[in-house]
Formats: sequence, C-alpha cells, structure tokens
Amino acid sequence: MNRTQRIILYILVLIAGASWIVLSSETGETTAVAAAPQAGFPAPDFTLKTAEGETYTLSELKGQAVLVNVWATWCPPCKAEMPAIEKMYNEYKDQGFIVLAVNSTFQDNPLEIAPFIEDYGLTFPILLDETSDISRAYQVRSLPSSYFINRQGIITEVVIGGPMSEALLRTRIEEALK
Amino acid sequence: MIEAFQNLFSPPRHMILLVVAAWLGLSLAERRTERYGISKEDINNITFYGLIAFVIGGRISYILQNLSAFTKSPLGIISINPDLFDPFGAIVVMFIVIFAYGQRKQLELWNILDALTLFFAVIAIGLGLSHLAAGTAFGLPTELPWGIDLWNATRHPTQIYDTLASSLILVLLWLFKPSPRSGVTFLIFASLTALSQLILQAFQANYTLLFGEFRQEQILAWLALLVCFIFLESRLKPIKNQTTSE
Repeated sequence: MNRTQRIILYILVLIAGASWIVLSSETGETTAVAAAPQAGFPAPDFTLKTAEGETYTLSELKGQAVLVNVWATWCPPCKAEMPAIEKMYNEYKDQGFIVLAVNSTFQDNPLEIAPFIEDYGLTFPILLDETSDISRAYQVRSLPSSYFINRQGIITEVVIGGPMSEALLRTRIEEALK
Repeated sequence: MIEAFQNLFSPPRHMILLVVAAWLGLSLAERRTERYGISKEDINNITFYGLIAFVIGGRISYILQNLSAFTKSPLGIISINPDLFDPFGAIVVMFIVIFAYGQRKQLELWNILDALTLFFAVIAIGLGLSHLAAGTAFGLPTELPWGIDLWNATRHPTQIYDTLASSLILVLLWLFKPSPRSGVTFLIFASLTALSQLILQAFQANYTLLFGEFRQEQILAWLALLVCFIFLESRLKPIKNQTTSE
C-alpha cells in the first residue's frame, strides 16, 4: 500500500468513525432506572430490624449518605474493618452519614452478634438479615460487601471484600456526601 | 455458563484474570521480543519494573488526588486495598519508567512498545473477562437474542464484545508480519484498539456526554485513532538514504 492509498484509508476510517459517533449519539438510556446493587443505580430498598426491634427502611434515609455493610461475626476481614467503620461513623454522622451494618444472620450464629457489638463498641445500627433477602437483593457473593449510597439513594461505589482502610472509607464517604 | 463464570471469578477474584493475562501476555511477548531488537532479559526487566511502577504509580496518583483523606489517615498509604488506585496515573508512571529503562539501556522506545504489544493485547482480553466477571462496564438494555441478564435487565454483552474484539486484534497481531520500521506493530495495535472502542462504546450503559449529545469515550477513541494514524504515517514515511524491504 503506497502513501496515498494509506492516507485515503485513514480519512475514510476517520469519517466513518465520526459518522458512527453521530449515529450512536441519540441511542440508549442516559440513566439507569431499575434498582440494582451496582454503582450508578438506585440502591435496592429494604426494611430490616435490629436485635432491639428498631426498624430501618433504606428509602426513608434519602437525604443522608448511607453505607450498607454486609458482614458476619465469623468473617475475619469484617472484624478487621469494624473499628475503622465505627471511627468514620462518629466522624461523619453530623454531616448526614449513617452506617447500616447488615448482619448475614441466616449464615451466622445470632448468639454471637451481641458480644461482637459490645467487643467492638459499635454505635451504628446493626440490622439482622434472617431470611437472606438482602444478600439476594444485593447479590452478595463475598463478605464483607459494602455499598456507598449518596443522598439521592444512588449507589456511588461498591467495595467487595475487605478490610477497608480509613482512607478508603474517607474518600468513599466524602464522595457519597457530595 | 456466564453465571458460572461470574460465580467463579466474582470480585475480588476477578483480579486473578488480570494476573493470568499478564503472565500469558509476557510469555507471548517473550517469544517474539528478539524480532524487535529487545532481548528476553530486557523484556522481562521492562515488564517487572513497569508492573511495579504501575502499582506504585496508581497508588501515588490516588493519594495525590485525595490528599486530605490520607493526611487524616496516613496509614492508608500502605493499605492493601486495591480500590485506592488511579489507573490513569498508573499507566502514565508505568510509561515513564519504561521510557527511563529504555534510555538507560539505550533501547529505542518504539522497539520496546513493539516488543510489548502482545503483552498489551493479552491484557486487553483479560480486562474484558475481568469486567464480565465483575459485571462492570455493562451494556445498554437490548432485546437482541444474545443479550445477557445483568443488573435487572437484558443488556448488550459489552464485556463479551470487548473480549472478542481484543481476541481478534491479538490474532491479527500474531499473524501480522513484523514491519521493518519500529513502532508500526504497536501503532497498528493501538489503532485497532481505538477503532474497536470507538465502535463498542456506543453500546455501553455508562458514559459521559459531551456537548449534550456525544459520548466522550467515543470522541476520545476517535482522537486516539487520529493520533495513531499520524504517528503511523510518520513511522512509515520513507527515510532518505535508508534501504528497507517495504
């Protein structure tokens, strides 16, 4: 292929590419509508109770940044990240940040939850997922799994696995609080 | 089948796919590196230092962008969280280190990039598979029969489109007779990758609009294609007093 032929090919490809950009500009959705456990989607709603019988509904917390952290007492990285989550909760709660720590009760020993909360001095709500509904709705495959939700109820970040460091929590919380 | 794959490599295990791709890519690149005037030892060193630079550079870039968070929690600098990472910063630092290594060893950058092209091509396949496993980089809803169920909708399997396009590019590169001009192999890979992204980004659900209607990702791919063509032409331009087998 000589130089002239190559230049003609470049120009044709660039024109075809530009045409494709224009053609594809009007297709598709601009925002995700259905709730899904993925960044950019509205967070799947749920209602759960704490061991004390207090009820929390995620959709009622709109206007606040929420961290939904799915955990279990037997899970080492869940244990390791709890002090950092507690620290960040105390630091940011006045700015409208709340943690909903959803215990995977269906695969945990309920008798170990209260001592766990006491040992780690946790002050945020600990919700009990006794039926695995939340794990299914959030498609939890690994523990811990964390979902950062902004004030509009949209998931801004999903962190699978752990432990999350303070710096990671800080950057994700600040993003969700914006 | 896709569900079984996603269960097997669900996050954070999807990173394994990138590690395997890096290993396979390096093995392939090693087999052809001497065609480009780079020894096997040099390509191994370049990959080793490049990967270290990628990891450290990605973290440093992330820290610089979130300085206030790390000032309050300085231990986070050495945290093992892979999420504290900026991929663009990582790529920039990796290229700087590769360039510096080449300068030190008096290797031409274009030759290094040519020798690394197969490595990059396999990494691109690994990236597509990793997105498929994690369910990220997902497509727009579709009614086409090959749509996949993901995030409460039947969607374009954009991760599979990307993987197929990258695989096709790898096959073409494998069959491609190396040009006597340095840089051409890499620039052909970069042009084909930019072209495939220009086409496939139209099916992605997550995009940023530019000027209210055009996808920024497609425009960037188009500009990358233009730059690749300019460099490609400059590499193919006849050089005075040079005899080539073109």
